[in-house]
Amino acid sequence: MKITLKIYRYNTEDGKPPHYDTFVVPDAEENDLVLDLLECVRGYQDGTLSFRRSCAHGICGSDAMRINGRNYLACKVLVKDLGTDQITIEPILGLPVLKDLIVDMNPFYEHYRSVLPFFMCPDDPVADGKERIQTPEERERYDDTTKCILCACCTTSCPSFWADGRYVGPAAIVNAHRFIFDNRDCGAEDRLNILNEQMGVWRCRTAFNCTEACPRDINITKAIADVKKAITTGKIE
Amino acid sequence: MTTVPEHGYTRQVKVKPNYETIAWQWMRYSAVLLIPLVWFHVLLQDVIVGVHRIDLDYVQLRWATLGWRVYDVLLLGFTFAHGMNGLRQVLNDYIHNEKPRRVVAWVLLLGWAVITAIGGIAIIAGVRK
Repeated sequence: MKITLKIYRYNTEDGKPPHYDTFVVPDAEENDLVLDLLECVRGYQDGTLSFRRSCAHGICGSDAMRINGRNYLACKVLVKDLGTDQITIEPILGLPVLKDLIVDMNPFYEHYRSVLPFFMCPDDPVADGKERIQTPEERERYDDTTKCILCACCTTSCPSFWADGRYVGPAAIVNAHRFIFDNRDCGAEDRLNILNEQMGVWRCRTAFNCTEACPRDINITKAIADVKKAITTGKIE
Repeated sequence: MTTVPEHGYTRQVKVKPNYETIAWQWMRYSAVLLIPLVWFHVLLQDVIVGVHRIDLDYVQLRWATLGWRVYDVLLLGFTFAHGMNGLRQVLNDYIHNEKPRRVVAWVLLLGWAVITAIGGIAIIAGVRK
């Protein structure tokens, strides 16, 4: 089947304003990934096309992009999933475009770092000197949010983040949730106080775009609601 | 980072409430109150009485009871506050500097207070017997 790709192009070095280039992939198959089509264009039609990719199996999270108006990982969406032979590919929204489909992820990582996404419990001695025991039920409490691969599909699909890039965004809240609800960790209070700021969880308007966009099927809006509840009730349950 | 975690689900944490927390809670609590207030109002005015039978005589009859006047003031106050807080949230998407944001928040709060006070006084005290 013939697929027409309309791809956002921008290069700070050539002085041209952002525009779209159209490419035709003549012999695509319905089970081809969108990433395969991009590789085909880059390999055979225009070697200057720039996009990030690494594992191509939905694990590294480097090829998040806006495909037909919705955020996906290009390595997880098949041509047949889109139901059309006209595919528009753009960089994810809300982050500065560096070149073509590559965005500057630094603002995203700064928000991620701001919620202290690491284990904190310096004063808690481990009883046997080996490990911190946790029951399967206690582990289950935050299992969903451990699945995040930091692809930024959620944060860059959030209208609150588009409106104000200072909002920490769903991905940072998901990663805070992962530690807040881990009963071995001692930093929940610090994280909740950070997320209680004006640019924290209260900027979430429950649009559900993040949940729709997540390639790992994390219930992000629910995780954000868990954090809001912990802040308002003062209880982590 | 001060307390050693207890094993089990429920843990207590101290999170200092701020303006945003209170505003968010206000939106939820006022919405819960608005559900019975607005739905009963709609049911009464549009279904039981009917919009074509609402005239000055009906308003006079309704406001002859203090309870209905208090009901209407509550309806005005809660719906208007809920809407003004929503408007503040929308404007926050477009105003990125802290100072103008505060000014807008205060203007909306004062606007709500003044209009609600005028409406409340008119409904409670302005009815001629």
